Amino acid sequence: MNRRRFTVSIVLVVAAVIMVLAPAAQAADSIVLGCPLSTAFLYGWTAERGFRLAVDEINAAGGVSVGGEKRPFAVEVIDTRDLEPGVPVSEALLAVEKLILDKKADFILGGPVRSEAALAAMPLLSKYKKVSIVTTGVLTPKYSAQVAANYDKFKYCFRIHGEAKHLVGEMFANFGKLKKKYGFNNLFIIAQDVSHARGAAAVMEKVATKSGWNVTGVEIYPTGATDFSMGLIKAQKSDTEIINIWMDMPESAILLKQWYDMKLAALPFGSTLAAAEQPGFWKATDGKGEFTLCNVVNAGNAPSEATEWTMKFYNAYADKWGVAPEGLGASSSYMAVYVLRDAIERAGSLDPDKIVAELEKTDVMGVYGRLRFDPKSHQVIPATDPKEGAVGSILQWQDGKRVVVYPESIATGEILLPPWMKQ
Amino acid sequence: MDILIYGTINSVALALYALGFAMVYGVSRLPNFAHGALYVLSGFITWSLLNSLGLPYAVAIVLTLLLTGIIGALIYQLILIRIRGMEISEIMASYAIGLAILEGLRWGGFKGMTYTLPSFIEGSTTIAGIVVDYQRLLVVVIGAAVVGLLWLFTHYTRTGLALRGMAQDERAALMLGIDSDLMAVVAMGFGSMLAALAAVVLLPLGNIVVEAGYNVLILAIAVCIIGGLGSWMGSVIAAFLIGFAQILTVVYLGAHYQMVVALLAIIMTLILKPSGLFGRQKELEERV
Amino acid sequence: MTEGMEQRRKERVDRGIKVRTDSLYALLSAGEIAYLALPRLVLILGLLLLPLVVPGMYWQRVITITCIYGLLAVSFDFLAHYVGLVSLGGAFFVGTGGYLAAIANTQMGLSPWLTVPSAALAGGVLCTLLLLPCLPLRGVYFAIISLMYPLFSARVIEALDILGGTDGIMGIDGFPNRIVEQYAPVVLLLLILFGLRRLVTTDFGLVVRGVKDNDQAIRASGINVTYFKAVAVFVSASMGCLGGACLVHIYMWSGISQFALDFSILPIAATVIGGSGTLVGPVLGCLILVPISEMLREFGTLRIVFYALILVAFIIFKSEGLMVWGRRKYHQFERWTRI
Repeated sequence: MNRRRFTVSIVLVVAAVIMVLAPAAQAADSIVLGCPLSTAFLYGWTAERGFRLAVDEINAAGGVSVGGEKRPFAVEVIDTRDLEPGVPVSEALLAVEKLILDKKADFILGGPVRSEAALAAMPLLSKYKKVSIVTTGVLTPKYSAQVAANYDKFKYCFRIHGEAKHLVGEMFANFGKLKKKYGFNNLFIIAQDVSHARGAAAVMEKVATKSGWNVTGVEIYPTGATDFSMGLIKAQKSDTEIINIWMDMPESAILLKQWYDMKLAALPFGSTLAAAEQPGFWKATDGKGEFTLCNVVNAGNAPSEATEWTMKFYNAYADKWGVAPEGLGASSSYMAVYVLRDAIERAGSLDPDKIVAELEKTDVMGVYGRLRFDPKSHQVIPATDPKEGAVGSILQWQDGKRVVVYPESIATGEILLPPWMKQ
Repeated sequence: MDILIYGTINSVALALYALGFAMVYGVSRLPNFAHGALYVLSGFITWSLLNSLGLPYAVAIVLTLLLTGIIGALIYQLILIRIRGMEISEIMASYAIGLAILEGLRWGGFKGMTYTLPSFIEGSTTIAGIVVDYQRLLVVVIGAAVVGLLWLFTHYTRTGLALRGMAQDERAALMLGIDSDLMAVVAMGFGSMLAALAAVVLLPLGNIVVEAGYNVLILAIAVCIIGGLGSWMGSVIAAFLIGFAQILTVVYLGAHYQMVVALLAIIMTLILKPSGLFGRQKELEERV
Repeated sequence: MTEGMEQRRKERVDRGIKVRTDSLYALLSAGEIAYLALPRLVLILGLLLLPLVVPGMYWQRVITITCIYGLLAVSFDFLAHYVGLVSLGGAFFVGTGGYLAAIANTQMGLSPWLTVPSAALAGGVLCTLLLLPCLPLRGVYFAIISLMYPLFSARVIEALDILGGTDGIMGIDGFPNRIVEQYAPVVLLLLILFGLRRLVTTDFGLVVRGVKDNDQAIRASGINVTYFKAVAVFVSASMGCLGGACLVHIYMWSGISQFALDFSILPIAATVIGGSGTLVGPVLGCLILVPISEMLREFGTLRIVFYALILVAFIIFKSEGLMVWGRRKYHQFERWTRI
């Protein structure tokens, strides 16, 4: 009996494997975009949705013309699991190799999503000469620094969303405003113990101290921590007025809820605070998330009128997926496909070196402003005015809505203080 | 004062994580690596009962406890009982079951950070100048109640006494007519219920996410090791040790040493006194 | 039983050829030599030829990774079933070896030819020294403490921000060419596998197995149990470090995820499937598990569910493992006999 059951299960497994191995039929001449993404996580699926939306639009319009021939895009998404704990980065690297070698991807878009994994994938990309545009989650300044330091080796790597340094700058501009308006002077920094967050927290501390802020504390919590009470109490005791949060782990919701329950007299000002980016955040916290501020890195991830394209994208995304753009990765992934299409059409071929040269010449009015890459570091050039460069977007939860409060050129509202903070 | 209050809350939370694991291991010597998965699963069960079926909160909680208990018992009765006593197989099988549950949930759409349970009572109060919300106070009350009830249960009911007998000496228990397989199933059921209880009490503080399963498992193991594998009251005391150690680390050393301190404590405990601070010393079983 | 139905049972009998090949007479006939050599040749040639027959470079890479997991699995099997130390901390060896190779390559500028063996040896020594205090522990206690080692190492590197912190170490040289990269793990795995099979039959192996079965008796015979355990741990750790060092050079990168739980769990799963205590079984298990895991990648997160269920099925219904089963079929035949 046992034996038969065993045989049956083996047969089932083999059948499943054969089903998988049967190659998916694909249009012979399509251009394959390989997307290594951590699909079970916010920054992974927003990117996937952004890609698919852009590719559908482009294909519906006839595809990409390569040297006079129209070719459609095809998307190959692969799950890297790289945002999961306990999974080695080599697993994500194997996924990238699978896309390149097995799926014959012509370009790598998206991830790997975790900064560490993306850094580790750079040598692979140059080994196989695959042009890659990072569109989600990779916030470490080291990525573009590596390109700048070793251009010949890593010139195939581009990044189309803002990085930690820009985020610090954007947030700091807001702190300055708050200081002027309300006389805020005390800043408390809470960060997650991962590469980009720690780096950003350190930069923030330095910048803030230099310009006269009183940094009342820096707490770095290990990924997966579930108790933030002591950090919050420290902030409370030191009369902190702004809590700067650098966390994308889900447990940050515990922090925010406790902030509300304690009626802490400090604004929670987060960056890539994944928990607060999603439209469902309000319902999930029963409104306890009100007044939470959050940097969603690029305009278009929250409703605003940065360019003519912004709301068009925002609504198209909402129509297609039944939910508004949910956070970092949506608008940048969408634009990456368009930027790549333009580069291919200008180059007239898929030759990686030609594409790199054409990508460097990119200058287009996109969803989140004017998109240009720095020719040395291949980092998208940031700005506070969408006419000048890629703009960020900081939102605040106000009465159940995500209201963009920064940069001023695209803002739809002002930063509000919780009632228990009014002076 | 703040250290005392939040240290206690943190400790009780840890104890709640660990009790189910300690109970199953104590009775049937099964390191239940699916513990974290059951914790997360019960969170999503409650959420579904609340939001999809629209049941009242209290009913949903009771149903969740029962359902999770049954699921745990079934896992044991159908799968784990066949490999009883083979430690490595037990660890592998229960870990694999946990993995299947967690990843299955994720595949079933339970991903992202927007799944939450409402607090039992909203609002907060001030104790000695420290603001504490009611939910956190409830955690302490319920944790204390669970420990108390567990003590009464294992000392004054037939089933409880049988479980304790199993835990102390399985052969002697067998001789006294205690059905050891049945008791192991019962223990697994109770252990799962404790995991579910921890989930419904603690999850309203944050959100329900799959990743929590792995963290809960590691925390539960940590507490049980330091308290002594198989010793229930030992785990409660160990939960307080770790809980306060964590809080004190944050206050005096910096939060990022939290995990280092916890892990170092485990390693030191294992090297110096492998059966834990409060485990029964069994020199011959634990070392050469 | 009802009348008329005779009670029967299955009986297993060694094949004649098995009995004949047990001793020196095996050398007398080609048939017997072939009987002995066949399984070994299948394994050796199979592993050597596999990279040539699989479609595409990606699957060749999968085979390389399989061999590295194979090293870890053999290392686990040796320690668990010949020494009696169940180690859940394979990742600790991988990480140590990986970081040592990375440091030797980036700081001292050694070539992969030197870093891989030196990382294996130095890593073996380092791991043995660090594990020395825990060696007296037995059973589940050793299992859990070994599980804590890689977690702890990763957290220490993270908290102290040493060795590249959470970014890891970049800029490591790759293997000089593709053939070396492809075959180094394969050949190393085969050498170590057959070397270990020899080792466990020597006097050393005898003592070590004695430690597993009854350490008190060994100690009573005036033998230093800890010394033998330490040597065995060194052997096992070196293999793990070797795997880690190869991995680092293949991906030209090292980081704290080298201490990830997967490196501890997957080899154990492979051992369970392949057959514990056979040394070859774990390799077989890896050859099944790693490619299956790759094929299932299409299913996204569902992949892990399938994977876990396959594992549970094996543990429950085929707990002896494929190798034990296969060996029995090869050496014995079964027949029904009347009672």
